[in-house]
Amino acid sequence: MIIKTILKKSILAASMAVLFSSASAYANADADDKQKMHQLYQDNCASCHGADHGGYIAPALNSETLKGRSPTALRSLIMTGSFETLMPPFYGRLSDSEIRDMVKHLQSTPQLDNPPWTIKDMKASLKVYVKDESKLPNKPTFKIDSMDDIIGVAARGKYGRGQGSEAVFINSKTHKIIGKVPTVTAAHIIDFDPANERWAYVKTDTAEIYKVDLYTMQAVRSIKTGLNGPGMGVSRDGKYIMAGSFVPHNAVILDAETLEPLKLFELEGIDPDGKMVSSDSGMIIGTPYADIFAIALENAGQVWIVDLEKGFPVTKIKNVGRHLHDAFLTHKGKKLMVASYDDSTVIAIDLEERKIIKKLKAGCVPHVGGGAAVKVDGRTLGFGTNFGTCEKTVVSVWDLDKMKLIKQIPVSGGTESPAAHANAPYVAVDIITKDRRARTIQLIDKKSLEVVKTLDVGGHAYFPEYSADGKYLYISAGYAGDEVVVYDSVSLRKKANIQMESPAGIFSRGRVKYMTRGLSPDEME
Amino acid sequence: MKSLTYLTASLLLIGVSVQSQAASIYAGKAKAAAVCAQCHSIRSKSAEAPFPPLAGRDEEYLETALKQYRDKTRVSEIMNNIAGSLSDRDINDIASYYNRLEP
Repeated sequence: MIIKTILKKSILAASMAVLFSSASAYANADADDKQKMHQLYQDNCASCHGADHGGYIAPALNSETLKGRSPTALRSLIMTGSFETLMPPFYGRLSDSEIRDMVKHLQSTPQLDNPPWTIKDMKASLKVYVKDESKLPNKPTFKIDSMDDIIGVAARGKYGRGQGSEAVFINSKTHKIIGKVPTVTAAHIIDFDPANERWAYVKTDTAEIYKVDLYTMQAVRSIKTGLNGPGMGVSRDGKYIMAGSFVPHNAVILDAETLEPLKLFELEGIDPDGKMVSSDSGMIIGTPYADIFAIALENAGQVWIVDLEKGFPVTKIKNVGRHLHDAFLTHKGKKLMVASYDDSTVIAIDLEERKIIKKLKAGCVPHVGGGAAVKVDGRTLGFGTNFGTCEKTVVSVWDLDKMKLIKQIPVSGGTESPAAHANAPYVAVDIITKDRRARTIQLIDKKSLEVVKTLDVGGHAYFPEYSADGKYLYISAGYAGDEVVVYDSVSLRKKANIQMESPAGIFSRGRVKYMTRGLSPDEME
Repeated sequence: MKSLTYLTASLLLIGVSVQSQAASIYAGKAKAAAVCAQCHSIRSKSAEAPFPPLAGRDEEYLETALKQYRDKTRVSEIMNNIAGSLSDRDINDIASYYNRLEP
């Protein structure tokens, strides 16, 4: 009887053990697969689609956004890429089973909830490539008339990562490449130190910042400030950098010399509809007028002003607009023009008084890029491009002294970034509407405020930028165009083609002199 | 002198053959940008891409390969689909364009 019971019990125990072990082995294999797919996503997709599956410069890929989509169609989209966009073909790069598993993974994974990247993670990610910067040569190791002639191009690389991802620096007088700094993932923003001509900072889509020595064309340090996000600004004295992320929702102030993180800000606030929200970081900007940074909280619709003093205190300007994004400075850097996507307005903010001056009408989904401002007949005019493809596509022109909309110039499609220079006759805008128009740039005459010419650049032509002397117009023929095309800014004749992989943003060092493109390089306006 | 005549004759021949195909590198440029460049790029190959570069490749080779892909006598899931959408004229234009590009 006793034996029987023991026997029965042991059988039960044994069978339970079998049951449990097989169940947990099953669960482990499942978890391993999930982990594997998570890693595959992070290594191939996250730099554009967001580390949290929530979308970034490319659409969100999660169980909600992909609900009901045909797995076969998704598989072929991954294989062939998407024409007219940055989405590259993964055929031959990922195996067929990896692509099929990825589709399943994406359709079953919810958007991740603000994954952490702490100040500790940042500190641990700091890399030093040049130990003793004092031993670096104290002048450029190449021939150049002025360091302002340097133009930096953010080359994305076909897959948003790999050998083609680099910051490419060009002498804008000779149109020759001076140096290339590899960035591992897609370079997005290049900022120059306003106080010391030798330093530049490059930020990638995966939120690494590289401190670059322009004299020797190499990275001296890098730090990973988040998981995704291009936001970056340099203070007027060159001592601080502020970086903001889409994922996670935070921003950080770094010591510009060492890249050591000094202060972290969690980005959240009450949006214009009264809801407390966690927020992506939009633009971050330093200004020549004071020791401050301004940062746009995209979803919270607020602009924060951070004083660069002990404790880095914050002044919050609320109810600026719905879904803020980018901005540009005017009036010696005292006024900030911030774009609000969802309200289709550009909001003028007085950085001195720390309050909203006026909300100006803009086109549909304004994206001002680096912005442009020009002086014409005694007036200072600001130019605003628009992302959205609406019935009417226009570039808005505001009188920045009166803060008044004066004209909406019809252009052939959506636009993303205007370029201007005090010495060049035209304001260039990039047409980004996803068809043949995307190959083109339109030129607006500063005086007549009409489109006077359309350039067929090729590729996906975007991010026009003038050289510091205003003599040349640089344009990225992005995506499959794979080159930067240079034009004479008056005759508009083609001067040079510079090969690189998927070029995007173009940044002249001249920007530190004129603050906003189009203003005088000789005196701060 | 003899060799010069020979050269002239062959130049004429080339002229004739190009004319008979009437390949347009401009049409080829537009087609290449719309159909091929997504994977193969235009001039320089992506450092990371597993696709062969096409700039400067032999024109006849490119034509033959594309026609084989189109007729499925050369098998590739992706190329059979893409070449399937091309006419003889497209293939001539594309081959002629890529052939004339400096890599």
